[in-house]
Amino acid sequence: MAKTQHWTGSKKYVCDPNLAQSFHMARVLGMPLLIEGEPGTGKTELAIQYATDQKLDMFTYPVGSKSNVEQFVAKFDHVKYLRDSQIEVLNTQRDEKGLDSKLSTGGRSTEKLGDYIIKGPAAQAFSSPNSVLLIDEIDKAPREFPNDLLYALSHRKFIMPESGDVIEVSEENMPAIIITSNREQELPTAFKGRCIYHYIHFPEQDTMREIILKHHPKMEKQVTQAAMNIFYHLRDLGLERAPTTREILNWLKYMKQFATKEALAKMGDLDGIGALIKTQTDLEKIQRHILRNPEDFKKRSLSN
Amino acid sequence: MLASLPEKFREYGLPADVRTLLLLRKSMDRGLIKTLGDVYLVLKGIVVKEPRHMGPYTQAYYDYFLNIKLKPGESLESAILRSETFKKWVEDYKKDNPEDERDLLDLVEEFINHVHLTSYDIKEILNGKDIIDGDDPNKEDKDWDDLSSTPERKNIDRMADYSEMDLEELLERMKQIAEKQKGKHSGGDRWIGTGGVSPFGHSGAAKGGIRTGGKGGGKMARQVMGNGNFYPVDRDSIINDNNVDAALASLKGIVEETAQTKLDVDKTIKNGLKQGGIFLPEMEDIKDKKLQVILLIDNGGFSMMPYVRMVQDLFKKMKTRFAHDMKVYYFHNTIYSYVYTDAPRTKKVTIDKLLTNDPNYRVFIIGDASMAPYELNQDSVINWGRIAEKFKKAAWLNPEPQKYWHYTMTTQALGRIFPMYPLTPRGIEKSVQEMNKKMDK
Repeated sequence: MAKTQHWTGSKKYVCDPNLAQSFHMARVLGMPLLIEGEPGTGKTELAIQYATDQKLDMFTYPVGSKSNVEQFVAKFDHVKYLRDSQIEVLNTQRDEKGLDSKLSTGGRSTEKLGDYIIKGPAAQAFSSPNSVLLIDEIDKAPREFPNDLLYALSHRKFIMPESGDVIEVSEENMPAIIITSNREQELPTAFKGRCIYHYIHFPEQDTMREIILKHHPKMEKQVTQAAMNIFYHLRDLGLERAPTTREILNWLKYMKQFATKEALAKMGDLDGIGALIKTQTDLEKIQRHILRNPEDFKKRSLSN
Repeated sequence: MLASLPEKFREYGLPADVRTLLLLRKSMDRGLIKTLGDVYLVLKGIVVKEPRHMGPYTQAYYDYFLNIKLKPGESLESAILRSETFKKWVEDYKKDNPEDERDLLDLVEEFINHVHLTSYDIKEILNGKDIIDGDDPNKEDKDWDDLSSTPERKNIDRMADYSEMDLEELLERMKQIAEKQKGKHSGGDRWIGTGGVSPFGHSGAAKGGIRTGGKGGGKMARQVMGNGNFYPVDRDSIINDNNVDAALASLKGIVEETAQTKLDVDKTIKNGLKQGGIFLPEMEDIKDKKLQVILLIDNGGFSMMPYVRMVQDLFKKMKTRFAHDMKVYYFHNTIYSYVYTDAPRTKKVTIDKLLTNDPNYRVFIIGDASMAPYELNQDSVINWGRIAEKFKKAAWLNPEPQKYWHYTMTTQALGRIFPMYPLTPRGIEKSVQEMNKKMDK
């Protein structure tokens, strides 16, 4: 077993201890780690940061509503194959007419079907030992997609289309597979059974402070505190789309350009609120709640 | 005995089976399990497959490994307090830590810390400054001295190290403990069982200056006790804001569409001939039947009043999910020859028109199905029958508690025409499952 040591995060990334443990466990057992949780809690970040920190190759497959296993594993390029076979015909015809110039197939031979296979992220990851394979937002996929992955996940083996070649990886060299989901659709039980499951809970204040510190190390404590006060206050309002980690980080990025005093004043006025709040209904709700008594709100948020 | 683990966990509605045991054994072989806390962690990764499993999982774990059973609505804390396991633990703990004079409630936290102490925590505590900065430097210094160059290894050794033991043995040992609590014949024996190895893997180490409650174990305890996510959400309760999403997750299960492309042979040949024999591949999308939903909502009558909000919530969520493929009709109590396309019931649509819809529509009827017997006349029954005949994938979702259905004649009558399910996440899930079965035929 190569890369199975317990990884707890890097300089830039706070890895929740529970998540780190699940991740470790998944790698030791050679199983994919399925991460679910609210958007913006750093699900995707785990794979990216782990790969960067450990200097491993990373392959990403962003899942969409049109995703299928062919794209993920490997695809036979019918277009090129057909083109090349037509070129052979053309070249013969040119030969007969005594023409010298020939069309090139770019070194591919229609005899070798393997030349026409485009490897997807999965096939690439499985053929490079100890890489990281990220399957992002699997809940966006058509329903049969996760089921189609079952064989590959439990046998660590892909069969290439048309050529019939097999890409196989031993458990020792298996890539660390990280799958993320926003729970927009329920994943099949059989699929979940093959993964180690982890649900990311929303970070509490202490963890949040740490996260902010990693992203904005020079931020004034006062500003951070005020931002967090407002942030958690907004989350408690029961908004349609509550702001998440990503949003508070963006907001602070905006505040970074101002001096402490100015930033505090701007926060009190909810300047740049667009970074935190993403729907009209929520914005109206906040205005109702906060603008009713702006002075009180300012006092509460800006105190420590 | 080993085999009883999946069974016990299944009792709590968790998806445990033989594979769970195989994986547990594998984890053991790979050295992931050294303490009871590790068992909790590893089993969690294997068994828990969605957030709502967390509560039942914690319950099942406490029941199976520690013989602590939660009564309905009881907090973990008080279940521990009244358990024999805890009483025994306190006895031993006091023996080992005579200077600790905290009251029982604090000891519960200590107990949970010990239960959930994982080898990760031990590492973290040993790596971190916790030991040096601890609140009792003298005592710890002494112990720190006799740790050799590899403190980590040594401490884990001093804690019960289960990596050498196989799974049966470990479980056997834990089971024995549980039995002992039941049989109250502990005598002078340490409650932790034979061999002096504690399943908590702590007692030696706790003396050695490792106090849980630092960054690792203590956090776990707080999470178990203080976090709502660790308690079960009642899936059989009537739909509310919180679980409506869970319900819809299963509703989405009836989507069946693919987005693959395949070679369009006809078109390729046709265009190839036009191009003088150069065949360029033409691709086409594979389209499958899409999910189409008809909602029939009973929005009239006093009997439906208490459920209006709930139905609205479900409706709103459904609308965002099936924006393009959902048709909504309203009716009052029952249908005669019309349904309505708007909520105030002004725009009529005849049943015949309704029946011209594609039979592949899934029909959800939401209503309490209770009315005066004369209201459900022959006409109405025939019309309901026609709907059921046309749309094979139809289900009636009833917000009224299932136990009352039996008493209402009209509910029974309609229940014979449509499969009827309670308007709960589980009910919706079931209705969707049944629909999917029909599709497969």
